[in-house]
Amino acid sequence: MMRLSFFCIFATIVFVSGQDQDGLINSNVERTLDLVSHLPKEIISVTIENRGTKATRYYDYYVEPQHVNNVAYVGAIVKGKNNDDQGNLLIKQETTDKTKGAVYRIALPNDLRAGQTIALEIEVAHINALRLYPAEITQIERQLVLYKANPYYYSRYTTQKQKTTVTLPTDRAESYTQTPKPVAKSEQTITYGPYENVAALTRSEITLHYENNNPFLTVSNLNRWIEVSHWGNVAVEETIDMYHSGAKLKGPFSRLDFQRRPDSLSAVKTFKTSLPASARDIYYRDEIGNVSTSHVKEMQDQVEVEIRPRFPLFGGWRTHYMLGYNVPSYQYLFNKGNQYVLKMRLVDHVYDDQLLEQVTIRIVLPEHSRNIEFYPPPYGVERLPNEKHYTYLDTVGRPVVVITKRNVLFQHIQDFEIHYTFDKFMLFNEPMLLVGPLFGLFCLVIILVRLNFSISRNEGSEARMRVQAVWDQVVENNLKRTGFYQKIDDALNAYKANKDLKGYNEQRKKIENELKTVQQDLAGLQAKVKADSADSAEKIAELQRLDTQQREIQQVLSGLAEKLVGNKLPKPAYLTQEEAARIRLREINARISAIINQY
Amino acid sequence: MVRLNVDQMSRYVSPVNPAAFPTLSIVLLGIGIFLMSWFFVYEVTSTKYTRDWKKEILIALVASFFLGYGGLFLLLWVGIFV
Repeated sequence: MMRLSFFCIFATIVFVSGQDQDGLINSNVERTLDLVSHLPKEIISVTIENRGTKATRYYDYYVEPQHVNNVAYVGAIVKGKNNDDQGNLLIKQETTDKTKGAVYRIALPNDLRAGQTIALEIEVAHINALRLYPAEITQIERQLVLYKANPYYYSRYTTQKQKTTVTLPTDRAESYTQTPKPVAKSEQTITYGPYENVAALTRSEITLHYENNNPFLTVSNLNRWIEVSHWGNVAVEETIDMYHSGAKLKGPFSRLDFQRRPDSLSAVKTFKTSLPASARDIYYRDEIGNVSTSHVKEMQDQVEVEIRPRFPLFGGWRTHYMLGYNVPSYQYLFNKGNQYVLKMRLVDHVYDDQLLEQVTIRIVLPEHSRNIEFYPPPYGVERLPNEKHYTYLDTVGRPVVVITKRNVLFQHIQDFEIHYTFDKFMLFNEPMLLVGPLFGLFCLVIILVRLNFSISRNEGSEARMRVQAVWDQVVENNLKRTGFYQKIDDALNAYKANKDLKGYNEQRKKIENELKTVQQDLAGLQAKVKADSADSAEKIAELQRLDTQQREIQQVLSGLAEKLVGNKLPKPAYLTQEEAARIRLREINARISAIINQY
Repeated sequence: MVRLNVDQMSRYVSPVNPAAFPTLSIVLLGIGIFLMSWFFVYEVTSTKYTRDWKKEILIALVASFFLGYGGLFLLLWVGIFV
């Protein structure tokens, strides 16, 4: 008995010291295996203790070799701290070892010195891990799946104490492995463990066969199109190819049974997509056109779109649709001078527990953007060469940043950043692309009307046009002339009232000069029109004569007014003489109007 | 280049309030169409002896500015964010 216990102590010492250089052990592990959705999710709460002598900075998380390709996400946070003020710990995937599996090296927030402990919460999401069993079912059958897992926490370090809790979607489990003991099932949960002192890299297998009718939706291809406009908008469009990745539908589909009986359990009838709270102009359409069977619900922090495809999705059935919306630029676009930063989600929510097998994101920046730099979210994405996109009012094309990523889950909904330079005045490039061609069109018209397409030269009509042009100018000059006479009259009346002879004379002189130029213009026109129409020249000459008469009468009027003001003429005599002059003026005006109106 | 921090930048808003797009496009296009019709009426009614190229160019320029900007805001209004 003594020898046995000595041996035990010795073995433990050898084991602990010889196990690895870091001297880390998992002192307590609590694992929850969430099998409710089609993506098994593992949350591992692990308390790590440093039993070595040296401080360490890293903790390695291992994935079993058979699951290496099934792990789509590994994340870790320090447990106990408030989740909001700490980010995810940095995780780097090391090279995969064929026998031990994949290694994810988690960087601890600070050095773990000898004797210290730290509690981490590691989240792992598995894809394609469920096997449909049976693989084909009829419309009314329930969907059963088979899941194989390790009852032990697979770790590079020794685990002192551990427990695994499996949560099933329903309490109906066809079968589940009853070993290693202790195993307890209560309704939806099965508990494996607690187990003590499990060696590093211990592998075992348990099989769970259970019912899962939750939506087995998978997006095989998602094209996300983000178009930035500096006129204040970011347009987002997602083109989605989706299929039901559950058990294939066997036999015919009966719409009657589907409508009448609520037992098409595995079918996906509807699902919900969350859009940003500021999303506007939402559209949901497919190849045929708008799909009207959808509802939009605006909520405090999101816009919820209930999407109901044209037909229910059964195992193996697929659908294709587009979902688009606009968001105002101030939500995602930031600037400082010429520098702009677009910060938004690389992928967005499509449905709960989403699995997007292949995602391509195209970010279309405004034309003439320069110095484009892309900063990915904290996980690996592949950036393809930039493309050019030509749309309305583009000349050199808009730069398109292309990003792809495989196997995107809910956990990957994180922000990316694009930094670029855009000169503000380039914003006027687009209106100028409209103004320029329009002006060109007008110029074309200006040139076209100047071209002469007539076969023979018609001298008669040419002369008529010339005469008409001269008369247009005569009419214009006449208008000016009458205006000036009106002004002289006004000045005269003002003089009679305020008796300011000097001011009146100045004003009159000025206007008379103007009238002289009008007269000169008319004389010029008369000379011009002489060749084409002697009659018109005669008429203009008569206009000139009448004008001279009018000027004389105007002078008589002003002389009378001066006498009146100077008290050299009694008022009644002034009034009769003025009246006579006015009658003559009216006659002259009537004759001028008669001449003008002929043309 | 140093990576800029978003927290120190201001949110980018459109130089023109999107709520004003309909009004702007209707007003600018209205004025533009008036000027355009004036231009064409002038072109067809004037003869080669009465035409004044300065006047034509001036009307054409002003009309194309109003039509261009009106058209741009019409595009933005209907959701073609150029």
